[in-house]
Amino acid sequence: MTNPVSIIMVEDDEGHARLIERNIRRSGVNNEILPFTDGTSAVDYLFGKDGTGSARKGQALLVLLDLNLPDMTGIDILRRIKENAFLKSTPVVVLTTTDDSHEIKRCYELGCNVYITKPVNYESFANAIRQLGLFFSVIKVPEAVS
Amino acid sequence: MLVAVSIASVLLVNKARDDSGWVTHTVEAESQLNALLLEIRRAESAARGFLLTRGSEFLGDHEAAVAKILPYADKVAHLTGDNPAQADNARKLRDAIATRLEQFKRELNLARQNDFAAATALVSEAAAGGTSATIRDLGAAMRSEEERLLATRSLAADRSQVLASSVTIAGSGMVIALAGMSIFLLRRSSRARDEAEARLRDTNLNLEAIVAERTADLREANDEIQRFAYIVSHDLRSPLVNIMGFTSELDELRADIFRRIARLGRVAALAPSMPEDATDNAEPELEGPDKRLSEDFSEALGFIKSSIARMDRLITAILNLTREGRREFSPERINMRELIENIGTTVAHQAAEAEARIRIATLPDIVSDRLALEQIFSNLIDNALKYLKPGVPGEIEIRGRTRLGFAVIDVIDNGRGIEARDHQRIFDLFRRAGIQDKPGQGIGLAHVRALVRRLGGTMSVASEPDRGSTFTVTLPINWNASVRNTGND
Repeated sequence: MTNPVSIIMVEDDEGHARLIERNIRRSGVNNEILPFTDGTSAVDYLFGKDGTGSARKGQALLVLLDLNLPDMTGIDILRRIKENAFLKSTPVVVLTTTDDSHEIKRCYELGCNVYITKPVNYESFANAIRQLGLFFSVIKVPEAVS
Repeated sequence: MLVAVSIASVLLVNKARDDSGWVTHTVEAESQLNALLLEIRRAESAARGFLLTRGSEFLGDHEAAVAKILPYADKVAHLTGDNPAQADNARKLRDAIATRLEQFKRELNLARQNDFAAATALVSEAAAGGTSATIRDLGAAMRSEEERLLATRSLAADRSQVLASSVTIAGSGMVIALAGMSIFLLRRSSRARDEAEARLRDTNLNLEAIVAERTADLREANDEIQRFAYIVSHDLRSPLVNIMGFTSELDELRADIFRRIARLGRVAALAPSMPEDATDNAEPELEGPDKRLSEDFSEALGFIKSSIARMDRLITAILNLTREGRREFSPERINMRELIENIGTTVAHQAAEAEARIRIATLPDIVSDRLALEQIFSNLIDNALKYLKPGVPGEIEIRGRTRLGFAVIDVIDNGRGIEARDHQRIFDLFRRAGIQDKPGQGIGLAHVRALVRRLGGTMSVASEPDRGSTFTVTLPINWNASVRNTGND
C-alpha cells in the first residue's frame, strides 16, 4: 500500500487476532494494525468522541470486522460505518466464523466489501489471511473525507 | 313397596267382597225365613177361615200356602247350613213345620167330613200343644240369630271396606309421593345435564384456543432449541479455530526446533570434517533419543489435530441440522414414484456394487417439500444399501399406501437388521448401532426424523437382526398450513 493505511482489526478473540496478524505480516504487509477486542472501543476510535467520525478525517483506513462481539454485533458497526459521511468509503472486510448465507447476504446489502469465513482448518485459514494480505497490498484505499 | 301395597289392597278388596257376600247371604236367609213364617201364618189363617166360614176359597188359599212352605223351609235349611246353631234350629223348625202340616191335614180332613167340631178342637189343641208357638219361637230365634250375624257381618264388611279404602288411599298417596320425588330427581338430573352440556360447549370452544396456545409454546421452545444449538455450535467453532491455528503454529515451531537440534547435534559431532554451510540446504537427520522425542511430539500434535478435525465435523453437522431446521419449505404436488426413481438413479452405482436391486411399488402422490422428501428418502435408501448383509444380494423395496389423509411409505430391505434395543437409539444424533464397519457420523436418521416431523409426519422402524429392516414414513398427503414453515426469525 502506497499511502499509510491503518488496518482497524475488530476481533474479540485475542488468539484469532494474533493468528490474523501473523498471517497478514507473513504476506508482507507492514501497515499499522490497530486491534480492538470489543465493539465499544472500536466504535469510539472510529467515530471519535463526538460520534460523527470527523476525527478520522484525512486518514486512510481499512476495517477487518468480526461479527460476533461481546458487546454488540459487527453488523451494527458495519451499518454505522456505511451510513457515516466520513467513513462510508472505507473498505470493510468481514472476517467471521459464521457461514450462514442469510448473514452473508445481509452484510453485502449493508455495504460490506469482502466477506471471508474463518476456516477451522488452519492451512485454509492461514492461506485465506495471506491472500487477504496480498489483496491489501494491491488495493487503493481512499481517505476518509466528507 | 308399591307391590306390597297393591297386593294388600287386592286382598282387602277381595275380603270386603266376601264380607259383603256374607252380609247379602244373611239378609237373604232372613228374608227367606220371614217368607217361610209368613206362608205358615197364611196357611194357618186360611185354615181358620175355612173352619169358620166353610168357604172353599179359603181352602184353595190354604193349599197354595202349604205348597210353598216346604220349598221355603228347604231354602232356609240350605241357606243357614253354614252355621251349626242355625242348622240345628232349622232342623227343629222343619220338624215343627212337619208336625203342623200334619195337623193341618188332619184338620182339613175332619172339616171335609163335616166334623167341624173335632177340627176346631184340633186347632185349639195345636195352639195349646204349642206347635205354632214352637214354630214362632224358633223363627224368632233364627231371625234374631240372623240379625246378630248380619250386625257382625256388616261390621266386618264395613271394617274391611274401610281398611281396603285406607290401604288404597295410602297406596295412592305413596304413588303420588313417589311421582313427586321422581319428578324432582328428574328435574335435578336434567339440570345437572344441562350444566354439564354448557360446560362441555365451553371446553370445546376453549380447546381450540388451548391447542393453539400449546402449539405456539411448543414452537417457541423448538425455536429456542434451534437458536441454542446454532449459537452453541457457532461459538464452539471460535475456540476451535484458535486451537487448530496455534497447534499448526506449534507444528511449525516443532519443525524449526528439531531442525535446529539436528543441526547443532551434527555440528557438535561432525564439526571438524564438514563445513558449516553444507548442512543448510539438506534436511538434517535426527538420531537416537532426539528422533524419538520428535516422533512423540508429532504423534501428540497428530492426535490433537485429528480430534479437532472430528470436532469440527460434528459442529458442522449440528450447524447443518439447525440450518435445515430453519429452512423454509415450499410445498408442491410431488410424483413420489418419479422422485424415488431419481434417487434410485443417483445410487445406481452403489446398488450395482452391492449387487442390490431397488424395486418401486405404487406410491401415492403427496403435496410436500421436494428437497426435504429427497433428503429423507435418499438417506433411507442410502442406509438400506450401506447396511446390507455381506454376500447376500440386496432386495430393497419402496412401497406406499394411504390411510386417513396420510401417505404411509415403507422402505424395506433384507439387510443386516437392527437389534430391538437400538430401534430408538439409531434416531439419536451421533449414535449408531451394530458393527461399526461403515463410515458415518450418526447424523442421517436424526436428520431424517427431524425433517419428517417438520413436515407434519411421523416415522418408525421395524427390524429384526439378520432379517432386514422396514423404515416407515407417514406424511400428510395434503400440505397442512400449520406445519412449521417459518425457520427464520
